[in-house]
Amino acid sequence: MNASPDRDLSFFVDKDNSPFVLFDATGVILYLNDAAEILLGYTDRRTLYELALTYAPQDFGSRTTVLDLHYHQLNFYAIQVAYADEESIGLRLYYRPRTHRAQPTEPQRMQLTNVNTILEAAITLFSMEHTTRLELLTDADLPEFRLDQQTFSQLLRKSLHLFRASSQLRISLRLAIGESMILEQRRYPVVRLSIEANGRYSEDDETIKQLAESANILPTLSENSLLFDIPFIRS
Amino acid sequence: MQNYLTHSDTVKKIIKSLDLTRHLSIASIVTGEPGTGKRTLVRYLFPDLPRIDGADQDRLEQALEESSALIIERFDKVPNPDALSFEGKHIIAIADHTGNARLLDETFAFIYTLPPLRDRPEDIALYADIYRQEAQRILQVDEPIVLEKRALDIRKNLRSLRASVYREVLLQSTDREAIERGLYHYFTATFDEGSNYHALLGLFERPLLQAGLKRYGSQLQLAEALGINRNTLRKKIHERLS
Repeated sequence: MNASPDRDLSFFVDKDNSPFVLFDATGVILYLNDAAEILLGYTDRRTLYELALTYAPQDFGSRTTVLDLHYHQLNFYAIQVAYADEESIGLRLYYRPRTHRAQPTEPQRMQLTNVNTILEAAITLFSMEHTTRLELLTDADLPEFRLDQQTFSQLLRKSLHLFRASSQLRISLRLAIGESMILEQRRYPVVRLSIEANGRYSEDDETIKQLAESANILPTLSENSLLFDIPFIRS
Repeated sequence: MQNYLTHSDTVKKIIKSLDLTRHLSIASIVTGEPGTGKRTLVRYLFPDLPRIDGADQDRLEQALEESSALIIERFDKVPNPDALSFEGKHIIAIADHTGNARLLDETFAFIYTLPPLRDRPEDIALYADIYRQEAQRILQVDEPIVLEKRALDIRKNLRSLRASVYREVLLQSTDREAIERGLYHYFTATFDEGSNYHALLGLFERPLLQAGLKRYGSQLQLAEALGINRNTLRKKIHERLS
């Protein structure tokens, strides 16, 4: 059943969890909803426009295509491309449901921690065996927050080991401004740890994902980098 | 607290990393060949932590229940490591052999390997000098002792190095009477092996010729100093040193 022409649906599109972007014929964005704004933090307009053109239906109408898409920690399983005229084309991406839910936070296992201390210890250990040049960008004033120290330390050791052949490594640790994550129905700010190089090994990726999730950390593993979103739990 | 002495960058980094994590609830292990100084290092960094021998599973499990921080010595001797829980504790384990790499990888947050002395030559000279001073004090040797590299035994790391330095201090401070007593014991112990007078003379002649040649440089001067014919000396050198 179609809504009546005078009913404004923009509020519902704005608040839809699925990212939706409307482009004009040249790829300029005419409209994007809240979820698409977040998506554009991880990819760019040109990539999405080309995606829409690639999977557009042959004629006016809509077409849904099942495909795996990953933009950092945002994972999608399908897209829909629709156009009703030559002036605009719409792209909607469908989130992949999470198959694995992070273990509930266990406050008794998490201790108030100066995360920079663990990072420094792990880097010191790594530098014993490797001559990799390190570019370190950390927030020295980051207050203590709750961490599973043992698991996080293991995670760091294993993560750095994947970059053992890299000549240069960039590590950053900072509060991700404006971002949050929900754990046990509570919303927390995000501390983001990023480790990047020109390439890396991947033999321990599965273990790293498991360690991260058991410590309530959201991992994003890509070809050249590892990114960890850590809940900033202070209480 | 006395400083832990090392000139090795790797050992300094291990100390730094262990020190950084001293207040964290994590389990770390220090491995390395016997005699590399693992136990001394851990005791230096954590003098107040209780220590327990890994070979005694019952006592170890009891200690883990009672303590929030613990040093486990000889972790490679723990009969059933899978039965141990380190959760929420600060554990420093020590092991001579890494053995089950998977177990270490899954059990410990940080794994440190203390390099053997052959991989940290900067520490050989440092410790040889420390042991020389110690040996001279204990053996009451006042004359100067010069340690040559070939006299230092690092096959068993610090343990054999210390023993070789003590031996060298003794040798270099030995007087004529002690040499004769030493030879007496040697001959007594080796008579049954079929001693030959001429072969045993080598014990005397070989070091004499080596020292003489080093001291005088030319065979002519050495023959003169020893009061023997030059041809006799040449024959002895050919026989004993070639």
